[in-house]
Amino acid sequence: MLRVAPLSRPRAFCVARCVVSQNRRWASSRGGRNPPPWRPASTLDDWVDRPIRPISLRQLFFFGRTLTEGRLLSSANYVRMELPTSRLAHRLREMQRLPYVVVTNPHLSLVYELYYKSFETFRRVPVIRTLEENDEFCKLISDNLKEHLAVIPNLVMGVLECQDLVSPDTMDQFVQAMLRARISRRVIAEQHLALTDTFDSPWHVPQISSENEFVGEVLLRCNAKEIIERCGRFTQDICKSSAGVDPIVPEIRIQGHVNATFPYVLSHLEYIVGELLRNSVQAVMDKYKDTKIPPPPIDVLICEAPQHVVIRISDQGGGIPRDIMSYLWSFCKGPRRATRLQNFKDVPTLAATMQEMRDSSLSTLASRPPGLRLGMGLPMSRVYAEYWAGGLELHTLEGYGVDAFLQISKLGNQNEQLTSRASIDGV
Amino acid sequence: MLKAAVPRCPPLLQRRWQTHHSHQPFPPDIHQWSHPPSKATVSDDEISRLAAKPRRPLTLADLVKHGKPPLRDADLLSSANFTVSLLPARLAHRIQALRNLPFIVVANPNVSTIYNNYLHSLSTLEPFYKKPIETIEEEMKFTEAMADLVRTHSNTIPTMAKGFLQCRKYIDPAEVTKFLDQHLRARIGTRLVAEQHLALHMASTGEAAKQKPDPNHVGVIDLGLRPADVIRQCEGFVGEVCELKYGVRPSLVIDGDTDAEFAHIPMHLEYIITELLKNAFRATIESGNEREPIEVTIASAPDVSTTKLQALRKLSVSEENAYDFSQDGLEEYCSSSDADIGPLNSAAPCITLRIRDRGGGIPPEALANIWSYSFTTFNNEQAAAAGGDNGTDAGLNTIASSGSDQSSIAGLGYGLPLSRAYAEYFGGGIALQSMYGWGTDVYLTLQGIGKMEEAKRAPSGYEILQGEMAKKE
Repeated sequence: MLRVAPLSRPRAFCVARCVVSQNRRWASSRGGRNPPPWRPASTLDDWVDRPIRPISLRQLFFFGRTLTEGRLLSSANYVRMELPTSRLAHRLREMQRLPYVVVTNPHLSLVYELYYKSFETFRRVPVIRTLEENDEFCKLISDNLKEHLAVIPNLVMGVLECQDLVSPDTMDQFVQAMLRARISRRVIAEQHLALTDTFDSPWHVPQISSENEFVGEVLLRCNAKEIIERCGRFTQDICKSSAGVDPIVPEIRIQGHVNATFPYVLSHLEYIVGELLRNSVQAVMDKYKDTKIPPPPIDVLICEAPQHVVIRISDQGGGIPRDIMSYLWSFCKGPRRATRLQNFKDVPTLAATMQEMRDSSLSTLASRPPGLRLGMGLPMSRVYAEYWAGGLELHTLEGYGVDAFLQISKLGNQNEQLTSRASIDGV
Repeated sequence: MLKAAVPRCPPLLQRRWQTHHSHQPFPPDIHQWSHPPSKATVSDDEISRLAAKPRRPLTLADLVKHGKPPLRDADLLSSANFTVSLLPARLAHRIQALRNLPFIVVANPNVSTIYNNYLHSLSTLEPFYKKPIETIEEEMKFTEAMADLVRTHSNTIPTMAKGFLQCRKYIDPAEVTKFLDQHLRARIGTRLVAEQHLALHMASTGEAAKQKPDPNHVGVIDLGLRPADVIRQCEGFVGEVCELKYGVRPSLVIDGDTDAEFAHIPMHLEYIITELLKNAFRATIESGNEREPIEVTIASAPDVSTTKLQALRKLSVSEENAYDFSQDGLEEYCSSSDADIGPLNSAAPCITLRIRDRGGGIPPEALANIWSYSFTTFNNEQAAAAGGDNGTDAGLNTIASSGSDQSSIAGLGYGLPLSRAYAEYFGGGIALQSMYGWGTDVYLTLQGIGKMEEAKRAPSGYEILQGEMAKKE
């Protein structure tokens, strides 16, 4: 059924290594304006034609609950087939359709090359039949994940630089599709790595795990209140550390259905909640920094409905000015483009230093200093929220504060939304 | 059997037709139709000529540009001519929109009443738009025509709703919603310019002119409208009805910038706030949460400078607004001297109200329909109930008759969409966020007129006149 690559195993890895060495050579010249090389389009055509098989959170955790060797290997083969198709090939094809002048932008051509390299690597991996082969495959995945840490900053910088070359809406749709595909790749790749870890751990017994636990990356019972408290403390600490002498950080109050739980990918939720709280805390601190009155608290409400959990974050940080409002969800529009572009230049180094601590690009972004405004927290949080069929809305009371509404689909039976909002490439 | 039946039929048919024919000419005389297609005297050519004219945009600043009443004669005449420059094209455009509806809809007695009202109003305006209004006698006659227009159209909404309800089998609900949306929004503008001239006229002539003028009112516009006061006033009204119907009244707290004030039309704000409070109060009581107060937060934004062109561009982007004025010719209009209204067009203050209740939110399945006129989605029973003169669902719905229209639209589900139409007319808006199982947050944004301090201190026309007289002496 599966098309087995006509290459013996050692050769496959040899090819992969060749690509790596080629790339290293290319990487050394990445400061220059060299356009990405031409490659025959037919290989990509084959993969673009294959259907995507979207997954739901529920599938992710039911699959991982009773972990056996057979299941682990079929998970490996799912990742092996799924990564090159929709999730890489479609993105590559979409980039190829962008104007030449855009793809030759140094930042975007770096992204393009990284993608092409991954595509070439993964499409050549033959069927995984044994645990040893799986271990090698996992090594390949985690190297790849590390290498792609710089993609987001480069992508957004490239897009900001190319703003005048393509219509901003096209650019926004492009970035959203790229990010969605990136999330999806990381979800299935990290899930497989986590499953392998679980399987390899000495205390693993193949039985149904207890309820209050992770299955791979998915936390079965995310407790909204705990996550908000944890992200809140983290945000308060970060904002405190850079706000001069003895700043007063606003309190975060939580009310509503505080016992609500739902399955979710923890790092996604932490990222979204973290960004929203960060916006609120910073706005309140900015507004009250020169006054002696204590800043008003940030009110968080958790509302649990039969199918959704809604988290509402209300601050009194002065609201969003009208001229920014219409650019709020865009990656590349708006009057603050130049400062954002400058701020982005500092992110890649951040990504490099933080990556030793934890291999997640999200934690790098979450712990950036508060002065560094990238202007992509909201659009990116929305991409993450919509990915698992949720939503993110914002209402401003100009002159008073902002209410942010994060809606989460509670049952985990919604498929990942690979093509929501902008139907990108007709997959 | 069949053979026997066939020959019997034709004579019967013929006889009936013949009797009919003997009593009534065919086609019947136009005045004997139960609802004549048209009895007005405006020619078709005239209507198409007027409808093709660009519909000039209307801003709040336009309505105060003639000065504060009591007005001098010259200002009153310029107000009359300004009004007459807007109305005919707008009325003609509405007539054309009605004419483009399916025949079966416009033939309905209710809808055709509305259609004839429009034709009638346009015909009464004919003497005035043909040549400028130059004397105070002409202005008096014009004011009478305005009073007639306001009176004729006061009952449009229920009549129209009844008509569309009766025709609902023959027309797609989405089409009804779209037509009504455009019609009701256009109607806001038409009525407003007519009412404004009426109000200016009343305040400038007769007894009213001799009294000490209210420094904050320019016709229907209040230059120092305090949202907090309007909220308290509407709360009292809605609360009383709640006590009557349910025996309880939820409390309401106001926070944020409670002293905020801006220039807007009190009539519109009262209508919107009443509708929104009605929804909040009812939900709070019906979910058994009346001990939880309804929270209203007032936010006032710092003035942002903007140009008239920018403001109008923003106003005319959406399709719902396209009926009233279009992007075409906007730039020429804004660079023309007509559009120049002095300092008033340079900044737009912005007031946002948040009404937060604990009424349990809106069920997800109902959420999709909250902005459509809900009678368009009635089932047969509901349609029958609402179609009758006495809606069975009285109680809180009777509140709907308050506000700018002294008419009953009870139970027709007009509250939210019409409120939004009022808010959006001058560049504001309403957004709603439901948390099912907890409550609802409604955000109402309204834009006022910039530099109100100057306008408030500005002398009225009467004072200017006195000043001039003093100089002469």
